Amino acid sequence: MTAPALDPATLKTLSSQELMRLEGEIARRFSGIVPWGSVTWGLCNLVVWLSLWPLVLFGHLTLWAAFPIATLNVMLSYLPSHEAQHDIIGRPGEPLRWLNELVGHVSTLPLVLPYRMLKLTHLEHHKHTNHSELDPDIHTRAPSAWAFLVSSLRNRQPGGQAQTSYAATLQRLGTPQASLAMLEALGLQLTYLAVLFACALTGHALEAALIWWLPRHIAATYIGFYLSWAPHHPALETGRYRDTRGFRSLVGNIGSMGMQFHVIHHLHPRIPLMKTPAAFYALRPVLEARNCPIEGL
Amino acid sequence: MKFIAFLMRNMPFLFGIGFIAPLIDQTIKQLGVNPAGSPWSLVLGLMIGGSWGVYAVWKTPAQ
Repeated sequence: MTAPALDPATLKTLSSQELMRLEGEIARRFSGIVPWGSVTWGLCNLVVWLSLWPLVLFGHLTLWAAFPIATLNVMLSYLPSHEAQHDIIGRPGEPLRWLNELVGHVSTLPLVLPYRMLKLTHLEHHKHTNHSELDPDIHTRAPSAWAFLVSSLRNRQPGGQAQTSYAATLQRLGTPQASLAMLEALGLQLTYLAVLFACALTGHALEAALIWWLPRHIAATYIGFYLSWAPHHPALETGRYRDTRGFRSLVGNIGSMGMQFHVIHHLHPRIPLMKTPAAFYALRPVLEARNCPIEGL
Repeated sequence: MKFIAFLMRNMPFLFGIGFIAPLIDQTIKQLGVNPAGSPWSLVLGLMIGGSWGVYAVWKTPAQ
């Protein structure tokens, strides 16, 4: 369909099916692209974070310089895996499938979150966004940004919802893949703790704290805020056009890791992250016709 | 499997004495307020880490 059809008055005359067809046609222009930027980002980010360990332990870099770099690394470690979770880099059977799985598995290691668990629970989040019992990320729902920060800290304590909601989702799924994801999560968590204990026993507790433990907590808060709380706030409605919002971030689009346009991701999950701003502006009249929450953009 | 479950159940306590305590000890030593050879920073770390760990295990509902 051509540009004149995007006139708001014309869009109002279209049926829901016609609107859906138009939306799909526009979205397809931004899909099916290999996100090489995200691939490079995911792999380079991991290499930089891993390199901090020998650089600090052998005295080539001060711990105080390594700490902000490590924090940035862990904050940046989720999104490349997120592209892989949606098979954007390579679908099953495609030549780049191996790269999709490689990026998915390795990029979130600093976050101590295994790819298989993230993928299964994230797809459930898409299926049941904002559902009080079925959305694995619903624990990020909070009436204000401050309330989110408080509950984020509380939820990450032993037995908190951030610890239990993904396990509960995997148990509910009950598939062999879900069982394998649980085992992977357990193995990764035990490895992480073994590394922290080993560092502490050998007199490197501060190094472990400032390269991994504290950056991981800061990153978990940041990622929870921008990838879950902000785009779904107030997280009270369900439905394709009401469960996610477009919003203006105080720290801009890069500072919020592209989440201002997260509504596009929920409508068309195979559009790469870096294409979502362009897709948003192309689709905006359709989103408005659908009464999507768009605030400040 | 029972051992893993036991380990995970008591992990907050193990984390408290195995990581938080040495972290407090090494942080205090780094600040230079601990006289050389004195164990009080490690004792303080074990008290804080251990008691936090016990509290966390006690507060965590059994899975």
